[in-house]
Amino acid sequence: MEKLKTGIKNLDGILSGGIPVYSLNIVSGSPGSGKTIFVQNIIFNSARNGLKSLYLTTISESQFKMVRHLQEFEFFSDDFLGDRFIYGDLGAVLRKQGTEKVLEYLTEMIKRHQPNILVIDSFKAIRDIFPDEKTFKAFVFDLAAALSIWEVTVFLVGEYEEKELTLLSEFAIADGIFHLYGQEEKRFQKRYLRILKMRGTNFEQGEHLFQINPAGIEVYPRIKPKGEELQYKVKPGKKGFGITGLDEMLNGGFREGTITLISGGTGTGKTALALKFLLDGAEKCENGLFLSFEEPVSQLIDNARQLGWETDKYLADGRLDIKFISPIELDVDKHAFEILDMVSSKKIDRLVIDSISSFESSVSDIQKYKDYLWAIAQQIKRRHITAIFTALNEDLFSPASVTKNQISLLADNIIILRYVEKNSSIKKVLGILKARGTNHDRDIREYEITPGGINVLGKLDKANMFI
Amino acid sequence: MNDLVDKKIERYETLLREMWAASETYLGAFSVKLLVERVVWDLSAEYREIELLHCHEGGISCAEIAASMKENPNLPVDDIFMKFITRYVEILAKLIGSEKTDKVAKKLKEEFGNIPFYSKEE
Repeated sequence: MEKLKTGIKNLDGILSGGIPVYSLNIVSGSPGSGKTIFVQNIIFNSARNGLKSLYLTTISESQFKMVRHLQEFEFFSDDFLGDRFIYGDLGAVLRKQGTEKVLEYLTEMIKRHQPNILVIDSFKAIRDIFPDEKTFKAFVFDLAAALSIWEVTVFLVGEYEEKELTLLSEFAIADGIFHLYGQEEKRFQKRYLRILKMRGTNFEQGEHLFQINPAGIEVYPRIKPKGEELQYKVKPGKKGFGITGLDEMLNGGFREGTITLISGGTGTGKTALALKFLLDGAEKCENGLFLSFEEPVSQLIDNARQLGWETDKYLADGRLDIKFISPIELDVDKHAFEILDMVSSKKIDRLVIDSISSFESSVSDIQKYKDYLWAIAQQIKRRHITAIFTALNEDLFSPASVTKNQISLLADNIIILRYVEKNSSIKKVLGILKARGTNHDRDIREYEITPGGINVLGKLDKANMFI
Repeated sequence: MNDLVDKKIERYETLLREMWAASETYLGAFSVKLLVERVVWDLSAEYREIELLHCHEGGISCAEIAASMKENPNLPVDDIFMKFITRYVEILAKLIGSEKTDKVAKKLKEEFGNIPFYSKEE
């Protein structure tokens, strides 16, 4: 099946390569949902591939007005106007000659310009002109048949509400339906895209985030955990922190390709431990990515320096990459996808997410948060990346809960950091709750964070990790 | 002479009808009619006479082409029909895929062995 490549970031991936050619597609959504930009982005990208589009408006919006809006986008090029982008006014035909002349006019336009793509915007305006549903249905059927015979891929744009999508005739005849909508989620006004139907190709179902920016439309595919059992091979290698006492407790380190949860209260050194894990990898010529949702890059570098760790050379040669994503700006729909994109493109061996608690606070839907983490965890394991997720435990002196929402279930290894009182002073202790495939130390050990780094000390007397 | 013309046109008409019936299975009568009209339009720039081919949802008629050929014996009727068939099959392959088009072509080859059917999508 030949496909029309949309050229929209990540959309062709969702569509298994693109939209089947000669299909009739409806792009629906309320006013302002991005329908027109979505379609125009596709046709200008197609123009760059040598395809010609016929864009017919039914609301008699002047070409001048449309061009003025379009030129804000990078995908737009006035070189295509009148050549690979033909603009026509179907509204005038409808008003002056009636509905029975529409097909005739379309056929004439197709014969004259021989386009590869035809857009009618808005198609709903045509529907409103027809006297009844029966006549309109016959028209839609004739239109679909005629346009496919002329080898044209069609986009009908319309201001349809979601409840109309299962009721109206045009949706029964359509090969593909893209539904665009927006909603408020916490701090964000978010735009979503769902493909409700697409004959002739597999596609990723569900809600995909998209954004409109100066480049045009960018889609962030829904990240979802796979339903099937995860089959992956745990490699025999080990990856440690380069902290003698801790690596000994782990019998050399974590198994390669596993996920570790470091859970602890504020100030216990979760971030420092996670960063040290990446620095140890960098020393061994492994690529590490630190995703910080809490501390800016400069602060992390400075903190590392305070502990006697040098990060500059690794940052310079690319063995260490630190990205700060402000929790205010954190949009999990987008960032979950981008995380996977980054680990693939940078060939990451070790990954840190600091912290998943920030992720959680940004998601309005807790099930979505769990799905994202499971999906990220699965993808990381498939790629044999050894990862650390840090999580804030708000109860400073009790490890009764490792994390909220049972996220600890996705971890192969769990390290608990907490405070204990000893001789009227506060000490930091760590323990390893679990370490998959490793005969790990079960003691609770005191540790200290000093200008010389992190030192794991001896076993702590009478500290009960589990009370 | 006229008998020969009639026989030749009749053979092509039969072929087009068979082609119509075979593709109707996949496209439906309405779309087949549109496809014929489209191919007629495609060829009309080269051969005006193709516009004498008439079709409706019940089938296809070459009667006017036969009449025109009697008046104009030099009409390259074989060339016109070959081009018509080739273009028809070409578009059909794009619409329903090569595999199904090959089935249609195979069926027609059984009856009209000397007609070349090319159904590979370009």
